[in-house]
Amino acid sequence: MKLLLLNALTLASEAPAGEEPKFDPSHEFELPAWVSIHIGPLDMSINKAVVYLWLGSLLTMAIGILLMRVRLRVTPDRRQTIGEQIYDIAQTQVAEQGLPTKAIGRWFPYVASLMLFIWTINMLGFIPLPITGERFELFGIDLPVWGIYAATSSISVTLALALMTWVFTHIEGVRANGPVGYFKSWIPEVPKAMLPMLVPLEILGQFMRLVSLSVRLFANMLAGHMLILTFIGLIFVLESVFLAVVAVPAATAFYLFEVVIVVSIQAFIFAALSAIYIGSAIEPDH
Amino acid sequence: MSNLVLAATEGNVVDLGKAIALALGIGLGSLGAGIGIGNIFGSMIQSVARQPELRGELTGIMWLGFALTEAVVFYGLIGGLLAFVLV
Repeated sequence: MKLLLLNALTLASEAPAGEEPKFDPSHEFELPAWVSIHIGPLDMSINKAVVYLWLGSLLTMAIGILLMRVRLRVTPDRRQTIGEQIYDIAQTQVAEQGLPTKAIGRWFPYVASLMLFIWTINMLGFIPLPITGERFELFGIDLPVWGIYAATSSISVTLALALMTWVFTHIEGVRANGPVGYFKSWIPEVPKAMLPMLVPLEILGQFMRLVSLSVRLFANMLAGHMLILTFIGLIFVLESVFLAVVAVPAATAFYLFEVVIVVSIQAFIFAALSAIYIGSAIEPDH
Repeated sequence: MSNLVLAATEGNVVDLGKAIALALGIGLGSLGAGIGIGNIFGSMIQSVARQPELRGELTGIMWLGFALTEAVVFYGLIGGLLAFVLV
């Protein structure tokens, strides 16, 4: 209930910006540079997504340390039980499903922290925070605008994460099978005449993994935020307060759907697919 | 996105056509994904009804399948948005 109110409040707080010509949901996803840093052709500017990522990494570390490292006892209390459940999901549902037994020791930390990290950033994206970079005046007081934004709704972030998994996949494949053995495993067992057609497809498939892994997370988070913002935005675009009767419950329903299901599922999927890709590179016959 | 609203209110025929195409594409995409997701959950219910003890193992696979299927809509959405912005 509190979240519901906050959500409505957040977006309603944009109402005083009525002087702006039009409310545009996609405007929320623009990333103006706050601190401009350019190194040669590289644009390393600090913007909204970067701040969210910093916050996300700090929180991930805090969650991991507080739930799974501090004051562990034989009879777990509530806090430790939550930590153990997260660990259990990472172990049985993610690592053991995708990775071969001999590789779990090496790659469990990667997939588990990937899961926790993505979950934290996704979750941060649905908590209204005063780091939108915009300000508004209420009774003469200058206040920051509270808004929802997820770093994972930027393709650069998810592509970087996917690229990590992709690079690790091939490094592990080469390390476990040798370069010849690994690239041989890409060639499917079919009649020789079919090979010129199938091998390019297989190579293309490797790159499609990169695209599908990053676009899945990116598009899910983008579409989730866009849906909520568009429903609330309808009130301002069509300039009718009575639309709130429909728009706010609909936005709340989507908000709850995203928070309860999508956030966790996407984090789980990303980690599980990473595990499966790395596992299939280590043991290509599976 | 503002183009969508503009197209609807100011009678720009090209933008209107693009908006309709985008909506149709996403709509048809979600049709397929809807059928797929229904299939996944239907099969899950059947399997658990037949062998309740496998529930734990099947849940992970179910969510994997769910996410893989659901993502198809978003490929459509991203493709549509790209076409909308670039063309």
